[in-house]
Amino acid sequence: AVGRVLRLCRRWGAGPCAQTLRLICTTTAVQKRNVGASGPEKYTEAFIKKQIEEFNLGKRHLANMMGEDPETFTQEDIDRAIAYLFPSGLFDKQARPLMKHPTEVFPEQRKIQWGEDGRPFHFLFYTGKQSYYSLMHETYEKFLNVQKHQDQLTAQDLPLQKEKRNLAGSRWLTKIELEEMLLEKVSDDDYSRFIQLLQKLVALPCADIEEKYIQKFSKEVPVQLQKVVIEPLQHDERGVAFSTGEGKRKTARATAIVYDNGTGKITVNGIDILHYFPVLQDREQLLFPFQFLGRIGKHDMVCTVSGGGRSAQAGAIRLASAKALRSFVTEKEVEFMRQAGLLTVDPRVKERKKPGQEGPRRKFTWKKR
Amino acid sequence: RIMPVRWSRYNPSYLEPEVKKESLQKPLEELTEEEREQMELKAVRPIKAAPPSLSSSVFSDPMISKFTNMMMKSGNKVLARSLMSQTLEAIKRKQLEKYHKAPESEKETIECNPYVIFHQALKNCQPIIGLSNITRGGKTYQVPVPLTDNRKRFLAMKWLITECRENKHRRTLMPEKLSQELLLAFNNEGPVIKRKHILHKMAEANRAYAHFRWW
Repeated sequence: AVGRVLRLCRRWGAGPCAQTLRLICTTTAVQKRNVGASGPEKYTEAFIKKQIEEFNLGKRHLANMMGEDPETFTQEDIDRAIAYLFPSGLFDKQARPLMKHPTEVFPEQRKIQWGEDGRPFHFLFYTGKQSYYSLMHETYEKFLNVQKHQDQLTAQDLPLQKEKRNLAGSRWLTKIELEEMLLEKVSDDDYSRFIQLLQKLVALPCADIEEKYIQKFSKEVPVQLQKVVIEPLQHDERGVAFSTGEGKRKTARATAIVYDNGTGKITVNGIDILHYFPVLQDREQLLFPFQFLGRIGKHDMVCTVSGGGRSAQAGAIRLASAKALRSFVTEKEVEFMRQAGLLTVDPRVKERKKPGQEGPRRKFTWKKR
Repeated sequence: RIMPVRWSRYNPSYLEPEVKKESLQKPLEELTEEEREQMELKAVRPIKAAPPSLSSSVFSDPMISKFTNMMMKSGNKVLARSLMSQTLEAIKRKQLEKYHKAPESEKETIECNPYVIFHQALKNCQPIIGLSNITRGGKTYQVPVPLTDNRKRFLAMKWLITECRENKHRRTLMPEKLSQELLLAFNNEGPVIKRKHILHKMAEANRAYAHFRWW
């Protein structure tokens, strides 16, 4: 039998989980509900095995259909083939036809925790959060181990290792990642207790013994994002060096061209800044990158800006000029500019109005009757 | 759909920007342990964009910006900022008048820098201890409570502004009223200082309830 080639998969994107008041920032991770931690098992192992067999068979058939080699048919090829055979104009990407390996489609779920006689396997089953408590017990065991090792070293009068672990390059697992690891829900309090315990463990001088265990719960932060390529200076007909930069803020988009050997004149959309920005604050923002680098009278600038309001346009030009100035300046100064917040795009935009409320936050007037 | 109330468009790993040039260019030896760790962290983590009210020029002062924002009504920053600059100008004029009229011996004691006057006046207005309402057994008591730095600054600024808005003659303009209040506060006189003293006296009077505080 030809296995079913496609699966229409729809994940309910509704609502992040409760405990909302502590959550300071939203990311896309919050929107995926952790299906693995909710409810008892719905898919048996035999079912999943059968799905995997059907998937592999279907993959080979698909490769045959597309005229490619079934042995070297990767997931990207599958996606392209499906998009070609079943073009879909649906807006929601998760509603379009999908063919993925069953382990990605059916999320990992906990197997039944008790045997045929009804007796649970794990000794902490009746606490309700067996994986969490067993994890805490394990971590505390490692903690006591390290302390014992420390005591042994002090008893023998040997020096304790004091190499400080570089905390700047790594972060702990987030609560959602921990939930995925343990396959059960973890509350805010529990999560913070776990992180405190890990921090205590890491703070001990001899924590290097348990490095492997700690690495399971820490993730590398990609160091300094990607190294941004700084464009070299260009020269125009008169031989003056210049460089361009683009910036945006809210709905405003700006491009700036910064010329060397200038007198500090700044022109926006063909108009002098004194006439275009009558407000002092905006002009201060335009001069901010130059003042920070100490190059106020040395550069000329010509910019074009459109969209947004008065403050947004000023912010966009500030970003554009800071990006353009990177080419004129040493790497250390670029790092200083970044730490002053001149090179980051401001992600703040107007918050949407919600239904049932008058504005983004303002509710309708409450009337008793 | 439930949206969290206190959220920000930035990822929590983003750090606050540091605008002052001097603190960025300090040589390594002068830094303490914590500052060194901070520097290392800053080198790795992404940094938020500087807000439009912050700039590295000598004229931008965080306290003055905070005060301007508190004076602002309906988002009219232009008006608030112009009022602030007119206030500082008025302070400078009054002090210069005093300076030129004063005899030689007192000329050195008169402070002409409006920024110094502003900071000193704010400092003089800050209460040391505050009162908070705690309900025990049905009755609400006013319990003396220590205040954080931020809260002290906020209370001082709020008192100054409410004092100017409410208790003055309708026709006088805000810069005039504010400059008058600031000069009085600088000399430890005036209604705002009186309000601070009243608060301190109330706290002293309710000293008996201090044990109600559990933090």
